[in-house]
Amino acid sequence: MKAKKIISFILAISMIAIALSGCNNKANDKDEQGRTVFSISGYPTKEGTSKESFDRKVTKFNEENTDAVVVPDVWNFELKTFYAKAAGNQLPNVFDTRYTEVAQCIDSGYVADITDALKNRGYEGKFNPAVLDIVTKDGKIYGFPYDAALQGLAINTELFEKAGLMEADGTPKQPKDWNELAEFAVKIKEATGKAGFVFPTSDNVGGWIFTCLAWSFGVDFMEQGEDGKWKAIFNSPEAAEALSFIKDLKWKYDVLPANALINYDEYMKAYATGNAAMMIIDTAVVNNVSKYGMTPEQIGMMPIPAGPKGRVSLVAGSPYMFTAESTDDQIDAGLRYLEMSYNYNATNNFKEQKERSIQIALEENRLVGLKKFSVWDKDTESVKFESELIEKNQNANPNHVRLYNEFIENPDIEIRPEEPVCAQELYALLDGCIQEVLTNKDADCATLLDKAVSDFQSNYLDNLSY
Amino acid sequence: MNNEQKVDVKALQKQMQRRVRRRNNIDAWILMLPMVLILYLFVWRPTVLGGVWSFFDMKAYTVDEFCGFDNFRKVITHTQFLPMLWNTVQYVFWSLIIGFLPPLFIAIMINEIIHFKGGFRVLIYIPAVIPGIAAMLMWYFIYYPDQTGLLNMLLGKLGMDPYTWLNDPNFAIIGIVIFMTWKGFAGTMLLYYASLQGVSVELYEAALIDGAGPFKRLWHVTRPAIEGLLLLNLVRQIIGVFQTMEQPLAMTGGGPNGASTTLSYQLYQYGFNSGGKSTGQAMALGVIIFMILIVFTIFYFWLNKKVESRY
Repeated sequence: MKAKKIISFILAISMIAIALSGCNNKANDKDEQGRTVFSISGYPTKEGTSKESFDRKVTKFNEENTDAVVVPDVWNFELKTFYAKAAGNQLPNVFDTRYTEVAQCIDSGYVADITDALKNRGYEGKFNPAVLDIVTKDGKIYGFPYDAALQGLAINTELFEKAGLMEADGTPKQPKDWNELAEFAVKIKEATGKAGFVFPTSDNVGGWIFTCLAWSFGVDFMEQGEDGKWKAIFNSPEAAEALSFIKDLKWKYDVLPANALINYDEYMKAYATGNAAMMIIDTAVVNNVSKYGMTPEQIGMMPIPAGPKGRVSLVAGSPYMFTAESTDDQIDAGLRYLEMSYNYNATNNFKEQKERSIQIALEENRLVGLKKFSVWDKDTESVKFESELIEKNQNANPNHVRLYNEFIENPDIEIRPEEPVCAQELYALLDGCIQEVLTNKDADCATLLDKAVSDFQSNYLDNLSY
Repeated sequence: MNNEQKVDVKALQKQMQRRVRRRNNIDAWILMLPMVLILYLFVWRPTVLGGVWSFFDMKAYTVDEFCGFDNFRKVITHTQFLPMLWNTVQYVFWSLIIGFLPPLFIAIMINEIIHFKGGFRVLIYIPAVIPGIAAMLMWYFIYYPDQTGLLNMLLGKLGMDPYTWLNDPNFAIIGIVIFMTWKGFAGTMLLYYASLQGVSVELYEAALIDGAGPFKRLWHVTRPAIEGLLLLNLVRQIIGVFQTMEQPLAMTGGGPNGASTTLSYQLYQYGFNSGGKSTGQAMALGVIIFMILIVFTIFYFWLNKKVESRY
């Protein structure tokens, strides 16, 4: 009797639990009036200009589009929560992510193929191919790229000034190649006592930046055989040379900070608080160092130095993606919403949104003055409008960002997407190699890379399931 | 007639009793329901499903198809599996060397203190009430490898060069264990202290009369009173430290070059930082850690029973 009671109780609980776990708030894509309802990520939780601006945009969209309703969602993309929310059908239909996570989002099967939707809205041939490549897999487009930035060299102009590394007109000197960068770093360290250069080493950021540096040394990380299998090949003399360069920065030139465990936050902090004079980073991020108290006047930006095999950079930035469950109507409405802020035509909406976003940046004392690497084809109306707007409203010292802005007009550089498979795992292994050469004076770069290649091959490439 | 009435009364009594019992049962279940539901949703269901899904291919967080022991094979043949297991064992080893006895010594000291006993007890308990991440960040800066680190400032005052602390692969685990000991010893100390309070003063007096010095008293009077608790804490500490994850995550990122990575940290990486490719391996590693710890847990329960039967 007692056992029966317990069993029936457990059964009842299981049913409630199953019912609970089966719930989801995936909105029906139509409301009572037949309008398409879709949600979008990134709704600010804090009261202030950004939230007001978001609200205004939402209201305007709902007014102008009588067949659609946008619902803001406070979730911001983070890979850790992305999968759980996706599996539970809790993602907003349209969400903002980063290029470095795109491959993982596509592989997971939780994002929609929007090739046809883009075609229907006339986007064919409109995007910059270098950017579109990042969100394309097997000929299908999975994202709407809206922001792109090339990795370059961010510098602290005050430290450059103190080290005598400014031209007479106030333009910072450009280290042409990595060796010259090391020489600059030594001068800065001697003149100011601060680290001349900072290189990240953990949370996969070190590996991410290292790939860029290694490409300029002529490193290939992996290759695909005729049978479709991937082979790790970065135990080459070129890779050893690139890793030795990092090692020399520590042990030969002694220009790095004492800490050898530098994650993304530490990386930003070292630069933004004036404890390191140079870092490799994309322009989008440099705009956001004001939270550490860095003023626009202190920021300088220039192209990435060249390696023995030339100058190579990586495109960083963000696309919007759509969840796999989104209906065609939701994707179409979502694209219309995105077009208000991101458009190849300089529409009135676009102009208004851009002007407002620049005003917000100025209010928050974020850097305005760096030209964008365009997601659109070169001669689009909106790019010209935005460039002029930035020039008109800049709070950066034009001399400090001149080298980068001139370069971005006509980038004579090889632009590469991230490594095609298991990029994050590769970065983690490279992080380990970098940490080892920075903490162990006697580390042998070639041996370390041999081990990393064999680990990468057997732990990841040989186990590829999708 | 009388008999019939008697029977009726008995039946009524039984019925009443049954009703009361049933109502008690229902009340009890209603009281327990929230707890049972929470346990079901957050402990039992995930634990069982994690075990089951460790035999399935996972596409990110969605179950795909049965794959037998493939996830286990991938975890065990991972080239870093054995180094991580070894690191985990080192955590346990150092936590026993560094962290096992101090709570006991401090408990004995507080027990012996005559003035401000309460004050000392509170002061010593303070590290335990500092929020975990804040404490980790604090120690991160204590160990910071340049001149701004607290320990390096002290070394500087003594005219010595700064040391790399957590950047040194040979010190990283020890450094983290020192922090864990500092953060966690107060709770254990209170347990010992409570148990020391239970030791009869007469026993000490008798030992004094017999001419026993402080160490003899400690060995012959205090030790027998608390050795059961000591053994239990030993096993509990092994189980607890074996699951170390957030300390290397916050303080070293598992580095330098994996020197402070533990099995649980790797589980976290599989589960949340593998781009959804290794969710199955995360669950397989969870099962492996569970299997290792279940041995200690069974031993713990057996020991607990023995210890309890002594008191």
